Order: sequence, then C-alpha cells, then structure tokens
Amino acid sequence: MSTSTLEVFLLVLTLYSLLATAGVSIYGIVARPSIAKKIISLTILGDALNVLAIFIGFRVYSVPPVLLGFDADVDLMEFARTAVDPLPQALVLTAIVIGLAVNLFLVFLALQVYRLYGTLDTRRTRELRG
Amino acid sequence: MRRHIVLVSIVLSVSALAYATTYLGALGPLGFDTRLLAKLFLVYAYNPGAPELTVMSPEAVTSIVWDFRGVDTLYETVVFYMAIVAALAIYRGIGYSSSGVRGAGLSLIVRVVTKILIPMNVAIAVSIAAHGHLTPGGGFQAGAALAVVSVLLAVVFSALSFGKLGVSLARAVALRSAGLLTIAAVVLAPVAFGVATGIRGFLMQNYVKLDSPLAFPTHVSGQLISGTLIWLNLAEFFAVSFGFFVIFMLLSLREDVVREQLGEEHEH
Repeated sequence: MSTSTLEVFLLVLTLYSLLATAGVSIYGIVARPSIAKKIISLTILGDALNVLAIFIGFRVYSVPPVLLGFDADVDLMEFARTAVDPLPQALVLTAIVIGLAVNLFLVFLALQVYRLYGTLDTRRTRELRG
Repeated sequence: MRRHIVLVSIVLSVSALAYATTYLGALGPLGFDTRLLAKLFLVYAYNPGAPELTVMSPEAVTSIVWDFRGVDTLYETVVFYMAIVAALAIYRGIGYSSSGVRGAGLSLIVRVVTKILIPMNVAIAVSIAAHGHLTPGGGFQAGAALAVVSVLLAVVFSALSFGKLGVSLARAVALRSAGLLTIAAVVLAPVAFGVATGIRGFLMQNYVKLDSPLAFPTHVSGQLISGTLIWLNLAEFFAVSFGFFVIFMLLSLREDVVREQLGEEHEH
C-alpha cells in the first residue's frame, strides 16, 4: 500500500495538535495560580501524553492487537504484520488508572489545603505561615 | 514578565519536539510500520507451537500487562495501593455517621433509572474483567467501569446510601486488600508449588518455561482461561474497583461533617 500525502498530512497534524495540547497544559500547570486549574491542566497533560503514546504504536490500515478465531488455524505472521503495536496500549492502560489514582490524591491534598487556608490561590498560600 | 518567559520557553520546547519528531525521527517509524518488538509480542501472545514463549492469550495487550511485563503491572498496582493509603491517611479518623438528612438525593425519576442502570453496570464490569484475556479489557478497565457505580450512588442517592447498602469504608478496604492478596497468592503460587515438589518455579510464572514444566491450567472444560491471566484480572478488578469505592466514598463526605470531625486544628 502506497502512502498518500493526505495520510502523512493527517498523521503530522495529529502529532502537532497533541504536542500543542501538551504545551498549553504545561502552561496551565506552571502559570495559573489556582491549584484547581493546575490539577485540571495536569489531567489534560496526562491525557495528551497517553494519546501520544497510543499514536506512536498506531499504524494506518491496521487491525486491533486481538487474535480473532484463535481456535482455527490462523496465520500468526499475517496478524503480526497487520496489527497495531500492543505495547503502548498496555502501558497507557495502566497509566490511565495510576493517573486517576494520583489525580484523586492531588484532589484530596487540594481539599485539605482549602480546609486549612481557605483558599486555593498559590499566591496567597505562599504568604501564609503555619 | 515571568509569564512571558514561561510562554516563550513552552513554545520553543513544543517547536523543538515537533521538529525532532517529524524530521529527525525521534519517535521511530510513525504510522506505517510496527517495530520488531511489537511483532514479537503479537506472534507469541497466543502461539501453542512455541509453548516456552507464549502466554496462551489471544489478547496481546493483556498478555503484555500480566505476563511479558507483569512485574511492571505489579509495581503499578502498588502505586495505586499507595495513593489510596495516602488518601486514607489524610482522612484518618473520619467516618460516616448514620444520623443524616432524610430523603436526600435526586428526584424519583433519576433514582429509578439509576436503579435499573446499576445492575447492568455491574454485569458489564464483571464481563470486562472475566473476558480480559480474550477481548479488549481486563482488571483495570473493569475496575474503572465499576467505580462509576460508587459515583452514581453518591450523586443520585447521597453519600448515606453506602451505609444502607452495607458498603462501609472498612469493608471496601477489606475487599480491596483481598484483591491484592489474591494477586500476591497467584504471583507466589508457582514458587511455593516448586518448593513443595522440588521442581523449579518462577515468580508470576504462567505457562511452561524452558527449564520449568510448571503451568497454570490454560483451559477449563474446553474454555480458554489463559492460566494466571483470568485470576490476575479478576483480582485486579476487586483491588481497583474497591480502591475507587474508598476514594469516592471519602470524596462524597459532607464538608461540614469532615470539618466537625477534623476538629479545632483545622480551623482557619
């Protein structure tokens, strides 16, 4: 199968939009003063990087990495030639759950900061003592 | 001024990454070819012709998650466990009191629809976990699917409904720990069996290896269960879903109850 210009353009467009999303979310984490907005940006960054990992394993004209009809005599070499890379998917699958757990922990910490200081603004919590 | 420095540095890094990935091939072959490593995983995921190398699961992703890179997943389960331990430590000493507001929750329509939805949700979650070695899915996905039930309960029926259903914080923690103990038992079983019988066995061993004939049963009455994979998926399902239950139960506690129980030290 020959690669068309449109396919390459769409792949590059996807890659650039993922990188741009990651850039915007890093800006949110670094520059926004509100802890809530920092956490939202962190989840967007995590999702963008997960999709990027899936994108690395993606290929045009492919089948999912699940061997269908495995009881019959299937051509394993043909399956390996046409399926997408399963490794990024396996890593992302665990990364999503771990990311969710870590995000929830950060939400707990943010709630606690709010209970202790009455604000989620890092410019104000920086000045507080005790 | 500081904001400008941040903006410029992010724009520069993203541009550098875009250049490196498109023109320098930093991510390897993109879009039209798979790596040799991927082909190895795909060929050996289900390959009865090579018993020393295969996982006996037609689902390549679950094969990687619980066998080829099983120790990775074990470590990630530990990270998940620790995150919940940390959340429990912040909320130490705070519990649900049975004396709450009566008639809390959303309207009758929402409650009836949710009552119909929850059994379906549970059935789908169990199905995702039990078929994890055959179709896309597994313990993590099933756990995340079941976690929705806890959010539905808290939002639609109020946080007090947990107590009515008999799901207490202690029970959720106990069920989560039971899941983790099952994972540990499956991981250690080949070694224990090997020590008892004098045959060499490895940690997390699923199917026969070159120097070890031990193997978990791959078929039960003609159905493929892929050795350790189905047990690890079901145990992870318990660990993840009740871990999320713990977290969402804590998050749905009423703020005034938490402040009251945290006491004077948290007044600001």
